[in-house]
Amino acid sequence: MDPIIDVHELQKSYGRARGVSDLSFQVDEGEVFGFLGPNGAGKTTTIRLLMALLRADAGSARIAGMDSWRDSVAVKRFVGYAPGEPSLDPALTGGQILEYFAHLRGGVDRAYLRELVERFELDTSRRFRQYSTGNKRKVALVQAFMHRPRVLILDEPTSGLDPINQQEFHRLVAESREAGSTVFLSSHVLSEVEHACDRVAIIREGRLVRIGGIAELKDIKRHTVTISFARPAPAAAFEAVSGVDAVEALDDGLTLRVAVTGELDGVVKVAARYPVVTLVTHEPSLEEIFLRYYRDADDVVA
Amino acid sequence: MWWRSVYGKTLREGRGAIVGWGVGMGLLLLAVQATVGSVMAAPGAKQALASMTQSFRWAADPVAVTTVGGYATWKLGFTVLMMAIWPLIASARVLRGAEERGSMDVLLSVPRGRLRVALESVAAVWTSLLVMALLASLIGYLGGLSAHAAYSLVDALLYGLNLALICGVFGSLALAIGQFTERARTAAGATGGLLFAFIVLDMLHRTIPGTAWLSALSPVYYYNLSKPLVPSFGSDPWAMLLLVAISAALTGVAVALFVGRDVGSSVRLLRRTGGRPRNGVRPPAQLRDGWSLRSLYARGLATIVAPTLWWTLGIAGFAAFTIVATEQLAVQLQTLIADSPQLRLVLTAFGGGATRVNEALLGALFAFLPLLIMVFAVTQASRWAADEEEGRQDLILSTPRARHRVLLARYATVATAGLFIGLVTLAAVDATSAAVGLSLRSGHLTAAVLSIVPQCLLMAAVGYLFAGWLAAALESGLLSFLLALWFFISFIGPELGWPPVVQRLSAFYYYGTPLLDGLVVGNVLVVLGASALILAGASVRYMRKDIGRLWG
Repeated sequence: MDPIIDVHELQKSYGRARGVSDLSFQVDEGEVFGFLGPNGAGKTTTIRLLMALLRADAGSARIAGMDSWRDSVAVKRFVGYAPGEPSLDPALTGGQILEYFAHLRGGVDRAYLRELVERFELDTSRRFRQYSTGNKRKVALVQAFMHRPRVLILDEPTSGLDPINQQEFHRLVAESREAGSTVFLSSHVLSEVEHACDRVAIIREGRLVRIGGIAELKDIKRHTVTISFARPAPAAAFEAVSGVDAVEALDDGLTLRVAVTGELDGVVKVAARYPVVTLVTHEPSLEEIFLRYYRDADDVVA
Repeated sequence: MWWRSVYGKTLREGRGAIVGWGVGMGLLLLAVQATVGSVMAAPGAKQALASMTQSFRWAADPVAVTTVGGYATWKLGFTVLMMAIWPLIASARVLRGAEERGSMDVLLSVPRGRLRVALESVAAVWTSLLVMALLASLIGYLGGLSAHAAYSLVDALLYGLNLALICGVFGSLALAIGQFTERARTAAGATGGLLFAFIVLDMLHRTIPGTAWLSALSPVYYYNLSKPLVPSFGSDPWAMLLLVAISAALTGVAVALFVGRDVGSSVRLLRRTGGRPRNGVRPPAQLRDGWSLRSLYARGLATIVAPTLWWTLGIAGFAAFTIVATEQLAVQLQTLIADSPQLRLVLTAFGGGATRVNEALLGALFAFLPLLIMVFAVTQASRWAADEEEGRQDLILSTPRARHRVLLARYATVATAGLFIGLVTLAAVDATSAAVGLSLRSGHLTAAVLSIVPQCLLMAAVGYLFAGWLAAALESGLLSFLLALWFFISFIGPELGWPPVVQRLSAFYYYGTPLLDGLVVGNVLVVLGASALILAGASVRYMRKDIGRLWG
């Protein structure tokens, strides 16, 4: 089966500023594909190239076999897009914006549109300029989903959404996947991609550094676990656990900070042998992960 | 140095404008003075000029027009007030614009009071304005020296100061209006409209007897009470102080309102009754259809309705005023012409070759109509560029619409607005000329009014082309410069004896003098053809370009 999104040696630079370089990946139809990277990595540039808002210097981006630049009008008939920074006519209400885009798309299922508005609890009577960041995001998401697109391209879709609406968004993504749609979403939050996606690509400094199934993320996921004990616990007991990279004893003599890659099961089991007062885990940001894993490496996917 | 204070940063933002406007206005003053020699070279020209300028006193008070300073003051008239465009835009941006961009939130998060932030911003605008006026007056003084003008350096500096003061009034007005609007653009637009209205209000007392009290309501009236370049007339310190007082009062109100209100909100004069429920109950989904939501063209038209109505009111109102002014001046001029064959010759040259007094007078007045509609086109082209810059075209282009159709739909709204302005203006001048009984050839009048529409199309097309490469601020600056350059070529070029090939570089050349000569189809076709070509270029560029700004 041909991939629904096929990016081949895509290149874009902004003069001296970095864009993306030799980017190649494929997304199969019906999968939820995560596009991970720290700020400024090239995620938005890639998405804007897919949406033909930018013109590639070299390489190609194809959606459903069509060139996203040359056949952009045809491509956009079955693509739903939510930009990273939604900017719309500030004088229009949310309802008017959705009505306008429904017309520009040649009409949508109004019952489904109403359902989306209700699910996101969007007040459509307010003007766009009066919306909070989260509500602006909701308008962008509703217009992206409202025509039941075959492909959804979403740039950091949950940024600014409250947890309840994030859950609603994830439910909507799952429903879209069940209905056969493909979802391409960017994020800089590892846990979000882990939760929502089948496969993930990681981009850094405009280049693809890793691509694979979601399970493969576990080997780069490192938690810091801070455990306070009622009496001192030996650091050596944790150092022997599989996946533990480092153990640091804090000055109070009762607390250990343990850096763990992968599952936490072994650390929790060892900790249970001692009187634990508190146990706090910290998920590192993607930036921290990159700093650690790629500081000296030039580990680029060929 | 620039980054140490709000004052320094705001001043830095204006450094390009300071040089551009200061040098530009100085060169304009210099060029006008350079033409004095050739204007007064013919025997008897001074007497004829003195008589003729009396008939054009609607534009500016003719005082000692046979001197270099007097002629420059009269010739520049109210056109010199275009320098007020910069402070009104800058003042609207410093507070309201910063709130709109969200940068005010960050600025006010540092330990610095709102009052200080506002005052530093205002002080930077005033400093820029004073430096601008200083540059203009120094360059103008050099022009005066070469033309053997009788005024001193102090007089030239007072001219600059007076100019800075009137410009400052409109800057302060924009700052105050910005407290009541949610967008900087709205405040700047409203102030621009008031600038135009105040200029026309000031003209009244020079045209219609017994209306001095009405003109005294305009700050421009007090600006005109000082003519420092005419040593025998001098400056009116009380009028200049009044301009300072008006600015101070408006700035005081603006700053007080800014200090006391919510950041990002506007001051409401009238409180809405009813409104949305505040008890936590969310209203049901409202997805009402409307005519303006059905297509790109309709949406564009809806966004342009309000500015179009205001511009129509201004342009049609100005055109109707020119009819009344002409009727008032015609009788006086007929008497003067009968007594002075020299004046007949000068007027013929000034008005474009017509012998009919009404049409000669009105021809000079109507020369401003294409300028006005082209300024309207500049504002609309700038909105297009700003929409792209602010990301408002991203989602439009994510729908299955070809890029060139998006651009052409938007351009079509400007064309529709231009046509509407033309037709309403035509109706206004027809009705006014019938009401006051001014005799004009209706075909020529129709040509004179409707010929402004192609000029609007041309300017908008140029704006859309520039938007293919330039950011909104730079695009509107360059368009304004181009418009000023064209006006300069047509305004000064003939007096400097520039060859026709240079004069043909100005769009105003192709507007010509339709009131006197009727419709010159060739010229209209040149403008329409150029518009179509430039628009095609703009479409091709838009189809190929990257949308928006740099992204990570």
